[in-house]
Amino acid sequence: MEYVSPEGLRIDGRRPMEMRKLQAEIGVVAKADGSAVFEMGNTKVIAAVYGPREVQNRSQQLSDQALVRCEYSMANFSTGDRMRKPKGDRRSTEISLVIRQTMEACILTQLMPRSQIDIYVQVLQADGGTRSACINAATLALADAGIPMRDFVTSCSAGYLNSTPLLDLNYVEDSAGGPDVTVGILPKLDKVTLLQMDAKLPLDIFENVMQLAVEGCKAIADYIREVLSENTKQLEYRRGL
Amino acid sequence: MTGLSLGEKQFIQGGIAQDLRSDGRKRLTYRPIYVETGVIPQANGSARVRMGGTDVIASVKAEIGRPSPLQPNKGKVSIYVDCSPTAAPMFEGRGGEELSTELSVALQRCLLGGKSGAGAGIELSSLIVVEGKVCWDLYIDGLVISSDGNLLDALGASIKAALSNTGIPRVHVVAEASGEDQPELDISDEEFLQFDTSGVPVIVTLTRVGRHYIVDATPEEESQMSSAVSVSINRKGLICGLTKRGGAGLDPSVILDMISVAKHVSEQLIDRLDSEISASTVSCSISQCLMWLENVLNLLSSLATQIEKRLMI
Repeated sequence: MEYVSPEGLRIDGRRPMEMRKLQAEIGVVAKADGSAVFEMGNTKVIAAVYGPREVQNRSQQLSDQALVRCEYSMANFSTGDRMRKPKGDRRSTEISLVIRQTMEACILTQLMPRSQIDIYVQVLQADGGTRSACINAATLALADAGIPMRDFVTSCSAGYLNSTPLLDLNYVEDSAGGPDVTVGILPKLDKVTLLQMDAKLPLDIFENVMQLAVEGCKAIADYIREVLSENTKQLEYRRGL
Repeated sequence: MTGLSLGEKQFIQGGIAQDLRSDGRKRLTYRPIYVETGVIPQANGSARVRMGGTDVIASVKAEIGRPSPLQPNKGKVSIYVDCSPTAAPMFEGRGGEELSTELSVALQRCLLGGKSGAGAGIELSSLIVVEGKVCWDLYIDGLVISSDGNLLDALGASIKAALSNTGIPRVHVVAEASGEDQPELDISDEEFLQFDTSGVPVIVTLTRVGRHYIVDATPEEESQMSSAVSVSINRKGLICGLTKRGGAGLDPSVILDMISVAKHVSEQLIDRLDSEISASTVSCSISQCLMWLENVLNLLSSLATQIEKRLMI
């Protein structure tokens, strides 16, 4: 199947190095300490952060840093075919672990010992790149909750189909069987916190694809920064400053 | 929600007795309701309803299936509610299962009638394609994103809005089949039949605090309730289902009084919901038009730059 047409257009009309449309909104769940909705094309994810708060399970309490917990769940209607079991399956457990480790790297946990930070991510619509959308949404939610962080974590995926590196794969391109590289970076510090890939890729092409994903992450970081400063302006306005 | 102090509890009860609740509402006033339809493009129909801080999404998916041999002329509908942990940390893992089951069962009772399928608020015989062989299976999924009291009413409203947004594809029978075989079907991608939702009921929950009933209770008010009655009423004023929660006993005359109050409130709620739903469908199509225009303009501008480049070379 042809994923990149001879004119250089992908299935949904994008160019190979073009990302899907980004849209983010902060403060959607009133009861949570911080929350955000992040959309990458048709993939829509909502993240809510509760914390820092008292540790619920005393045995897990850490005396020198905060405990970060994460749960990833997909809605029944998020995929094309209706899913029977929204959470607890192996893929959800793996992605919960991945998001937890990624966010733990950027939160300044030393400042909040003996406390707990819960990150809950709910996928409303899945169209490829859910992992990346979840991490981006979690970053916004943590910023909305006012939890101290070293830097944002932004994430993007890239692949290689029809001998072309492609940025931000959607579901059809993802299920094509080609390689799928997911990268998560701390943009200001220029450090990689998450790197996952499946399928095979020669090393020199891998460097190109990873570089493309990192560029995508930096573009997302610019967008997130814009969204947060807009939100701060709104808050200032409401406070009458 | 953290515990309430004695002073707060008395403030809530006293306010309700004086027809002035903590957020300034009267006893029978709903919080502002916002309805958005078509939020899940992959589903056949979907809606998102916000009542104050409560935020729920309902989606309707239709799949071809076989009717049950006991009711060969009716389609099948199943309702399932999931409480997302984003609404409350206690819904993590399996913590939300109890509440999800309670809500699913209450909704099934209110909207689907008895086990035989009789008296369903949703017209099941409109879902049949070939009697005895092929029918539509509707899967209605509710997701609670944010919980700020009165989940059942919000879910009922979102299911009604989602059903009004639902389009069932038109099916043509290509080849007749004899005996046990399934007939061949041609499912159209273009034509959709809008679901008729004039008979779908709404759910009104009346919470009894002290000697008075309130509508649309917040979690603080719900913690002070002695009992609650959820009545599902349709546009004609007919009762489609009834659920009573809470340990305190109620005098039968009190229940009849609550039902009549719920009937009165439901008329306003149905009018409000219908106007919100029609407003959201109109704004949906306007925003779709604008998005289409935006796409066309983007395409034209990219074409123009391409032509420029070619001309320069």
